[in-house]
Amino acid sequence: MTKLLRKEFKLSASILSFLFILFGLMFFLPGYPVLCGAFFVTLGIFQSFQNARETNDILFSALLPVAKRDVVKGKYIFVCAIELCSILLMAGAMIVRMTALAQAPVYTQNALMNANCFALGMAFVVFAVFNSVFLGGFFKTAYKHGKPFVIYIVVAFIVISIAEAAHYFPTLGWLNAFGTDYLARQILTLLAGLAVYVLITLLSCRKACERFEKIDL
Amino acid sequence: MAIVSIQKLNKTYPAFKLRDVSFEIEAGRITGFIGRNGAGKTTTIKSMLNLVHPDSGDIVYFGKKLSEHETEIKKHIGYSTGTVNWYPRKKLRDIIDIVKECYDTWDEAAYRKYLGLFALDENKTALELSEGMKVKCNLLIALSHNAEVLILDEPTSGLDPFSRDELLELFKELKRDGVAVFFSTHIISDIEKCADDIVYISKGEIVAAAPKAEFSARFSHEGESLEETFLRMERGEGND
Repeated sequence: MTKLLRKEFKLSASILSFLFILFGLMFFLPGYPVLCGAFFVTLGIFQSFQNARETNDILFSALLPVAKRDVVKGKYIFVCAIELCSILLMAGAMIVRMTALAQAPVYTQNALMNANCFALGMAFVVFAVFNSVFLGGFFKTAYKHGKPFVIYIVVAFIVISIAEAAHYFPTLGWLNAFGTDYLARQILTLLAGLAVYVLITLLSCRKACERFEKIDL
Repeated sequence: MAIVSIQKLNKTYPAFKLRDVSFEIEAGRITGFIGRNGAGKTTTIKSMLNLVHPDSGDIVYFGKKLSEHETEIKKHIGYSTGTVNWYPRKKLRDIIDIVKECYDTWDEAAYRKYLGLFALDENKTALELSEGMKVKCNLLIALSHNAEVLILDEPTSGLDPFSRDELLELFKELKRDGVAVFFSTHIISDIEKCADDIVYISKGEIVAAAPKAEFSARFSHEGESLEETFLRMERGEGND
């Protein structure tokens, strides 16, 4: 597995996948739908899949003396590594925004969703959608990446829109809590997002491994 | 002794069928796999590498089924799938660094030997190589981990006559070391020059799988070259 992971980083990855991790810092942007940052991170990952297709990466990997399921797992681990790096940036931005910059007028008068634990939990959900819809869809053929990415864009923007709008619903105003308000509930939403991410990614990976075993390359 | 056995391989595509493909490859022999374009050579080879999944039939290496021991078997075989470009903008050194980690049997001395023999520069990218050099690069990888079986899909296509001759001589050298060389081609003179056995496929079916002398005795008319025999058979002019 380590060999395949090295291959992912050294041969298959597009530099954009690494650069776009920085979009995690969009959690600092006031008056902006911060979850778009999570979407841009996945756009960077998509570039690696485009790169992999152009360079015959899947065929190269399938010919190596490694289990086929490890080829799939290698891709999933690479994607998760990028996603979790951006989550770290988002978490850092969230902590600074909710503590040191808690009184900054640009943040206190923010009309859109605050970069809080709920937002971070929803970033996990956006990544879960990517892993399920895009990665899972890609491994149906191991070369068609356009259609699964378009479906992912649609689903991701529905998720982002719901997350952005949720706090306007009666009784859900706490979702947009600022600073340490409703901290316990906020942390619960973060944990729920993380649980969704882990569960959906594992299920998607298992299904992709099964599909990849049966694909003719 | 047969170290590779292909048994009743069937694969159906909308416009093409591979029907009951069976043959064996023996250690220390060169087997030429011949057939015109679209005859089923690449589908058979891809099945032998588990890239294509047959509808039925078995592929057995060293007495073990490929479907059950894929990873272990792949450590003992070398392959070259035509002139496919792997990572065209990466240096050969970077690609080979990853490949060598995957083989416990990687032989650095053999790697250096063939690197020199093929006059390949590790610092070049695939994009900077000619088609012939790309074939040589695939062969370099295949030959550097002491593979017992080499499966090569049209390795001589795109090579100049001198490189082709060198390659066929190399096959003979490998054969002397006990390696089984299985290569597909539509260049009949390659078969004439070095093959011990011939597997002839036409329209998805094996027409014959036999030692070259037996093949000629069975199918060739008196004074007819192997090339003339194949052309006559492909035109459907039979053996009469």
